[in-house]
Amino acid sequence: MNPFWSMSTSSVRKRPDTEEKTLSGELRTSPLRASTKKQLPSIPKNAVPITKPASPAAASQSTNGTHASYGPFYLEYSLLAEFTLVVKQKLPGVYVQPSYRSALMWFGVIFIRHGLYQDGVFKFTVYIPDNYPDGDCPRLVFDLPVFHPLVDPLSGELDVKRAFAKWRRNHNHIWQVLMYARRVFYKIDTTSPLNPEAAVLYEKDVQLFKSKVVDSVKLCSSHLFDQPKIEDPYAIVFSPWNPAIHDEAREKMLTQKKKPEDQHCKSMHVSGLSWVKPGSVQPFSKEEKTMPT
Amino acid sequence: MSSGTSISKNRQAPSLQGVDPETCMIVFRTHWAQVLKILEKHDPLKNTQAKYGAISPDEASTVQNYVEHMLFLLIEEQAKDASMGPILEFVVSENIMEKLFLWSLRREFTDETKIEQLKMYEMLVTQSHQPLLHHKPILKPLMMLLSSCSGTATSTVETELVVLLNQLCSIIAKDPSILELFFHTSEDQGAANFLIFSLLIPFIHREGTVGQQARDALLFIMSLSAENNVVANHIAENTYFCPVLATGLSGLYSSLPTKLEEKGEEWHCLLKDDWLLSPALVQFMNSLEFCNAVIQVAHPLIRNQLVNYIYNGFLVPVMAPALHKATVEEVMTTTAYLDLFLRSVSEPALLKIFLHFILLHRHENVHILDTLTSRINTPFRLCVVSLALFRTLIGLHCEDVMLQLVLRYLIPCNHMMLSQRWAVKERDCYSASAAKLLALTPVCCSTGITLTLESQGKDYILWTKAAQTKDSGRRSSESTCIVEYGKAVDISYLQYLGEAQEAILQCLKDCKVWSALYDGVNPDPDTFIQTLAEENSTDVEHPMFRLQQRTPSMCSSSQVTPFGEKMQLELEWDDSYDTGISPGSDVSLPQPYDDLGNTEMQPPAQPPKHIQEMKKSAIMLIKGSYIEESDFQDDVMVYRLCAQKDTQDDDNTKEKTSNAAREHEVQSQTVVNGPLAKSQLEMDLDEHSKRNSSSTQGVMKEQINQKMTEIDPQPDLELKLSPQEADRNLSVRLLSTDGEDFIAQYDKIIKELDPNSASLEEQKLDTLIPVSPAEEEEDFENFSADTPSAESMPSPFGLKEDISPKHAARSQSAPFTGPFISVVLSKLENMLENSLHVNLLLIGIITQLASYPQPLLRSFLLNTNMVFQPSVRSLYQVLASVKNKIEHFASVEKDFPGLLLEAQQYLLFRVDMSDDAEELLTKGNVQHSSNTGKGRNLSEAYPAVLQPFLGQKGKKGLAHPGLPVHVRNAVLAAALFPEFLKELAALAQEHSILCYKILGDFEDYY
Repeated sequence: MNPFWSMSTSSVRKRPDTEEKTLSGELRTSPLRASTKKQLPSIPKNAVPITKPASPAAASQSTNGTHASYGPFYLEYSLLAEFTLVVKQKLPGVYVQPSYRSALMWFGVIFIRHGLYQDGVFKFTVYIPDNYPDGDCPRLVFDLPVFHPLVDPLSGELDVKRAFAKWRRNHNHIWQVLMYARRVFYKIDTTSPLNPEAAVLYEKDVQLFKSKVVDSVKLCSSHLFDQPKIEDPYAIVFSPWNPAIHDEAREKMLTQKKKPEDQHCKSMHVSGLSWVKPGSVQPFSKEEKTMPT
Repeated sequence: MSSGTSISKNRQAPSLQGVDPETCMIVFRTHWAQVLKILEKHDPLKNTQAKYGAISPDEASTVQNYVEHMLFLLIEEQAKDASMGPILEFVVSENIMEKLFLWSLRREFTDETKIEQLKMYEMLVTQSHQPLLHHKPILKPLMMLLSSCSGTATSTVETELVVLLNQLCSIIAKDPSILELFFHTSEDQGAANFLIFSLLIPFIHREGTVGQQARDALLFIMSLSAENNVVANHIAENTYFCPVLATGLSGLYSSLPTKLEEKGEEWHCLLKDDWLLSPALVQFMNSLEFCNAVIQVAHPLIRNQLVNYIYNGFLVPVMAPALHKATVEEVMTTTAYLDLFLRSVSEPALLKIFLHFILLHRHENVHILDTLTSRINTPFRLCVVSLALFRTLIGLHCEDVMLQLVLRYLIPCNHMMLSQRWAVKERDCYSASAAKLLALTPVCCSTGITLTLESQGKDYILWTKAAQTKDSGRRSSESTCIVEYGKAVDISYLQYLGEAQEAILQCLKDCKVWSALYDGVNPDPDTFIQTLAEENSTDVEHPMFRLQQRTPSMCSSSQVTPFGEKMQLELEWDDSYDTGISPGSDVSLPQPYDDLGNTEMQPPAQPPKHIQEMKKSAIMLIKGSYIEESDFQDDVMVYRLCAQKDTQDDDNTKEKTSNAAREHEVQSQTVVNGPLAKSQLEMDLDEHSKRNSSSTQGVMKEQINQKMTEIDPQPDLELKLSPQEADRNLSVRLLSTDGEDFIAQYDKIIKELDPNSASLEEQKLDTLIPVSPAEEEEDFENFSADTPSAESMPSPFGLKEDISPKHAARSQSAPFTGPFISVVLSKLENMLENSLHVNLLLIGIITQLASYPQPLLRSFLLNTNMVFQPSVRSLYQVLASVKNKIEHFASVEKDFPGLLLEAQQYLLFRVDMSDDAEELLTKGNVQHSSNTGKGRNLSEAYPAVLQPFLGQKGKKGLAHPGLPVHVRNAVLAAALFPEFLKELAALAQEHSILCYKILGDFEDYY
């Protein structure tokens, strides 16, 4: 395993790192959501009470208005729900982060840990249609066109459609797209390719294919520290190892395993009330720990 | 002039800095020689004439002056290393302190001398540079002094005494090694061990500074006891500390006002501002707070003892009867007190017994919880106060409370279709539930005030750095919301989302310690029913409280044996009690037992108070309370009653009826191979009891009787119910309920008997209006299905399978979401009739419930796609019904839009006041610093927009003073309803995106 990559795993950082330094560890925050909520004033300053006209026509119109005004909330929460599902999946080597500007655009990076594409670090962007979840399937575009039968050599777009011919709400989720994106690098499919050259080489001349892949991986690595393709505060940015920044974050990640237990003990005292014995359904069934004898 | 004060004056003046210690010593010795001369002159052992010679004032003051200087020298002496300074050594070897004490005894031992001595010691122990209390010659006279002060002291002596004791305790707390010495000295005395402690006990409940100092001093000892088993054992076994403390509560409680002064329409709970005005309440709260503090710091031995005494010496003998007093006013006051106490107690161990009392204690065979629940349905202020109490209970985020109140009814999962069980844990990925909830917003309510954003010249709205307010500035980054320019956005909804997230996270955090997930799998629905049946058959009281039976306890009434319960079960209600009660006659009820008294020996002829009260409220119920259909379907009895009434109408003779009844007795005897012969009616009752606690059978019977008297004017109708074998195994407590659904049935009967009644009209209203928008998937058929289906309507005196075990098994697990849910939902359904503050409390309670992350609760309340059993009423259905009522009301009321606008303005006005109210509410909590994070601050529980009860301040802008009350209530409800929907939708959305997997470390996230 290349030590450089294992290091860079922890060196992934966001530019506005005022909060959530732990992107690379575990994507457990949905920054968009967290901040959306927390930014709210208790009583909005720029709000104006609007008295709507009470005529019947206006009333029906405003009904539509009412519904329309909640639409964005539904969309945003649907996407956040998708995001929490992604987090839950814990896909190995795959990290995503919704953009600052829009919940419909997610930045991601994928680390390939073995196989033909070993050591590959591919940044990508997921574009979600704005009529989600009723629209088409999301698009996934690599920042640099990876040499792969299913990746368009010009645009870098991955052929997602082949796996999700029809996007079905409740059945299809964005984490599946990400899982698919990871899998294509381990199990190579050459049928109806977007990059026919890669497909043919894989079929006919694996050695050449492999060397092209190595080149492609190297190319991607050499551009790793480039500025992100899309200007966004939440874009994923790589930087060389900087002990001042990264040592602390690394330390934190490595010590994190112990933490939950400590916290658990602490929180036992602070809050939460239960005297129910586990397995029992009777109140006050728990025995006192310090029963005097 | 006492020497103590003069010393303290003099002391300040000269400084001994730099004075040679030897010189000091010489001065001290010469002073003592002078003093000793006088002392010996009057010592009867040394001077035989001493007895007769009076001590001249001159001599006394000489001694005083010398002693002052000596003490000063002693105090100022600096000790080298660990050894004593020469003066101290001299004091010890000469036993000077004891001699001085004897001298003061020899003089007249007046209060003044005592004070003098007390002050002297206080000064010595607090100001001396070297530890003095280690030396027996100093300690012993001190103890003699203290014991001489015990008992008959006047208030001035007491004040000094407590000050000194307080100082001693604080010294002991700092240096526990002294503690041993205190024990040993008192052994010499032969008096009770640990004198300082015993001396403090009488001051526990004292008001003012004396009491406060005494309690502080005791707390020093308490925290000491946590480390020291000897002290803990001594206090627990040899002192009356715990009993005094606990019974003191009872005493103080009895002096609390039984009625609270009228505090205005919106008053619903006691805030600190309220109770500070009542000295008696302040005193009680001080003592309660002290108990709380003791439990917090003391040794487990003391803690457990105290907790048990409070349970058996205060809660059971005092609070329980007080909650069942004769007048609604008194009951309401007690409820408000209980609520206040719950909010004030922070120590889990103390809170535990309060909750144990509320959840499990039975007063006259009815759980306190059930009684409290039934009071929600009363038309009095009592309802509001009870709701406030429940809000407090639910806000505790305590598993036991929620289990008893709601979850136990949901665990079996039979409130939903079997095919739906998988969906309990399901997340609402696309906010479908939120959309459905918001779609319930009545069309007529979307006019009027909506908070929208001013148009901005951007493509999207940036919510930038807007929140400097509440969040401590930890999240300072900017963020966006994908709202496009030009679209009206309901920003109040964003606020609801934020508050929903906060509420859920807080609840989630608190629920981490819960024993189970309550997700439809754990606890397992099937084993739950089994274990419950088993546990129920043994019917164990909590071991902690059984243990109490061995130790002498304050009260005898707490231990009601199972046998005793059974005996009471078999009591019959006399018809004669049914006649005298009318809506206003609560005062006339005799009270057969006193507050502290013995509740066991209740005369059999007297129906318990809560029954009377239920009956009263049943009579007074103005509008129909809602019941779950299951009650109705299963409740064959109700129909039988109607049927019986019909037969009675037919031949209308007493003989025939009783004949019929007898016939059934015979019939059932032959058919049923049960242990006892039962009348037909009883079988019905029995059947009912499978779902209900046995005690409610009493209610039922009573209602039957009542019913009978109403149906048949013949006063001597003999439909005697033979004593009934209460089948404990069958009356699964899980499904225990209380009277209110019977009341509802009662109401239904009235409806059916009297087609012109108001409630029927209401019912018609419901059916007239199309119930739901076309998009709804729910089957609204069952909505107004008041008419029972054919199978559930048995022919009079009929079908045998109704009483077969098979049927019994079915009805045992009949869908029922519990009395609390059903009463709250029924109250909610009457939203338009409720006053604003009732609605605000209801909304508060429901949103609190909806904030719980447990999938069972969440799916029941918020998942609008869930398919429930037809008999189960969901929150969504109730909301849909309210929507229809509002739309109907809007179509009838002439100036609805105008009124709505005014109502909205009024509500917004209240929001402006809410900051003050928040303060008020939080102040009401006597929280201890270690426990503040509990989320029990009332203000946290629900959003500012719905912050109810701004108390006195919110009054001036009262909406529509000129309107009739019912119109005003309806308009305010209509204005409130859309906000409530938003709140629920926000909760549904926030639940959908919570990542439960990462529960472990969500602190980082919060």
